[in-house]
Amino acid sequence: MASLITCPHCGVRPKEEFSIRGDASLVRPAPTASDEAWHDYVYVRANPRGRTLEHWQHVAGCRRFLVVERDTFTHEVHSVTDGAVFARENGR
Amino acid sequence: MIRDYYNRHALDEKLRGAPRPAGVNHLAIGHRQAVAMVLAHAGEEDTVQQVLSSATEFTVRFSAPGEWLVVSESDTSEGLQRRIDAFCAGRAYVVDQSEARVLFRLSGPSTHRILAKGVGLDLHPAAFATGASANALCGHIAVNLARTGDDTFELIAPRSFAESLFDDLMAMGREYDLTAAFAG
Ligand SMILES: [Zn+2]
Repeated sequence: MASLITCPHCGVRPKEEFSIRGDASLVRPAPTASDEAWHDYVYVRANPRGRTLEHWQHVAGCRRFLVVERDTFTHEVHSVTDGAVFARENGR
Repeated sequence: MIRDYYNRHALDEKLRGAPRPAGVNHLAIGHRQAVAMVLAHAGEEDTVQQVLSSATEFTVRFSAPGEWLVVSESDTSEGLQRRIDAFCAGRAYVVDQSEARVLFRLSGPSTHRILAKGVGLDLHPAAFATGASANALCGHIAVNLARTGDDTFELIAPRSFAESLFDDLMAMGREYDLTAAFAG
């Protein structure tokens, strides 16, 4: 488990200050998308070995949603981005 | 029996009895300060930060982007709210927190070692200088931590967590003979 996360607003913090809120790579389907697309979006998750994008909320700090890119195998944290900035940069 | 809960400090029960003399390491509980939360309107974050940090009538604590806690030792809660409103001129929401937060002031040569038992922040002056502030966990309680001097820190905690935080801090400070009392 990556134990130190560098929050863009608060600095280096222990993982206990955060709450992991799931896969950040998923894109919400259109409201009119098929039941299969919605089923995949809501329920189906990969369990990757390697780099993942996740939502981490800094609940005991700035309370912002962050997007953490980390490696589930080496525990290395590659980047931490504010959720709003991530959404803007990815055109969501 | 009519009891006026509003005028009862959250730590009255803990600090009841004859006041003990303050030791070298001392925990003072704020009694009469006004606290307000300020949330900048979208797009006005930088302006609000500038006006707040230029003020000398109160101190400003960073909580989150566009969000601060403002503390005043001299104003009433209504007075502080009016003062911030005048400063921000409609660029921010101001919410009075005076009765909802408890202020702990920890001072003495061992404060770093006491806080290190519960706070995951780097408290070295190079990383957390005088005037710095941040939201952080102290044990399991989310507080706003500020450094107000070389050996002085202030913690602002939700009122309902005050007794737990008080017990935690006293346990953390026991080996340094930490004393506690209401601020004078
Ligand atoms: Zn943060």
